[in-house]
Amino acid sequence: MKEYNDELDCSGMNCPLPILKTKMKIDTMKDGEVLRVISTDPGACNDMPAWASRVGHVLVESCEEGDKFVFYIRKGE
Amino acid sequence: MVTTFTATELFETIESGADFILLDVRNEEDFSNFSVEGPNEIEMLNIPYFDFIERPESSVAKVPSGKPLKIVCAKEGSSEFVASVMADFGREDISHLEGGIVSWGNVLVSKRINSDSDSYEMWQFNRPGKASCSYGLVYEGEMFLFDPSRNVEFYQHFAESRGADITHTFETHLQADYISGSPLIAKETGATFVAHDGDYGSAIHEYRSLIDGESFDFSNEGGPSTLCIHSPGHTPGSTSYVIGEKYLISGDTVFIVSVGRPDLGNQVVEWAKMLYGTIKERISILPDSLLVLPGHYTDWSAEADSEMRIINDFGTIKRNNEEIYGIDDIDDFVSFIQSNMRQQPEIYGQIRKVNSGHLTPCNDEQNVMDLGKNECAASNHTS
Repeated sequence: MKEYNDELDCSGMNCPLPILKTKMKIDTMKDGEVLRVISTDPGACNDMPAWASRVGHVLVESCEEGDKFVFYIRKGE
Repeated sequence: MVTTFTATELFETIESGADFILLDVRNEEDFSNFSVEGPNEIEMLNIPYFDFIERPESSVAKVPSGKPLKIVCAKEGSSEFVASVMADFGREDISHLEGGIVSWGNVLVSKRINSDSDSYEMWQFNRPGKASCSYGLVYEGEMFLFDPSRNVEFYQHFAESRGADITHTFETHLQADYISGSPLIAKETGATFVAHDGDYGSAIHEYRSLIDGESFDFSNEGGPSTLCIHSPGHTPGSTSYVIGEKYLISGDTVFIVSVGRPDLGNQVVEWAKMLYGTIKERISILPDSLLVLPGHYTDWSAEADSEMRIINDFGTIKRNNEEIYGIDDIDDFVSFIQSNMRQQPEIYGQIRKVNSGHLTPCNDEQNVMDLGKNECAASNHTS
């Protein structure tokens, strides 16, 4: 199990909600902390990395767990 | 106020030459893989929806004001979100696409090909998202379909609107670039699925095997005949259909510009030679007056007529494609094909398996597989 500081479950949500919720959550965290995001929206697979790199966060890892997509995002400075 | 528009309405807006801005809010990668194209230039912007989440004010400022704004995204939620952000900043005349980019990818535009006074109806169903065409031939309550896409509901409604039953669905070949609707149409309507053994021999589906040179007729006398001409090359089972001695439904053999690429089966030399034989011995001998109705096009401006129909007479096509039809040596033809070769999209292998019934993905997966412009021409490509 990867280490993370906080977690957000976006199961059942469709875009733009997963990114919108992730942004709101990560805004409350400190630089360098890692957020674990769970999504069931296949659209998140391309959008989450694209959003993270555009904003300056780092997508540390992403994987599929059953029908869920899991992203580990480190907050950028 | 934010409103919505359908994919059909989007096509009509583009066709009318109206002045508007199309804002695609998908991520840059998805946008670069596939975007809206139509018969006229579109003023298009790609600003991902998450930019409107992170920096709403500067993102809104990137969109010129003063023109109607039409927003598209993957499904619909993000374009609706961006539309509301735009409205919050005081922008007006904003609308978004119902059903997202998939509905654009699947939309069909019907155009009557022959005169209203003819005893039968020849229709072209253009799928701008794929740059492909299917066809419908209607005579006294019966309809023949050619190369239908997965939008089965559309064809059923269309047949109904013409007071016809779909009795036959013909394939020009086993498609690699889109998922065929023929198996489903045959299942749902009881129509006879007609195809050539050369492509469908190992398919799971039940089909009526066609024979080179045979004709299919409507039940009532006096209708146009459908003559099958085996025209291998793009695939071994490729078949062209001559309708009423007037039209050539050419599949991926003859295009308005270029011919169908014979390198999709990874046997480029063998299939290119087959295509050369087809062009020389089976296709070039057809009358110049035949009006060609192809399976694909690449560029609206070069291949559509003034009414935005993809059609031209065979004589003109031969003259315009002299660099292909003028080749008189089989080895030169193979070299021409090889020098124009490029990779085929990875998904084509999977689509072939779906079309032969060896793979049955769920509907959402099929939507994803089926999205994107065709790559079927031997030359005349941008990549």
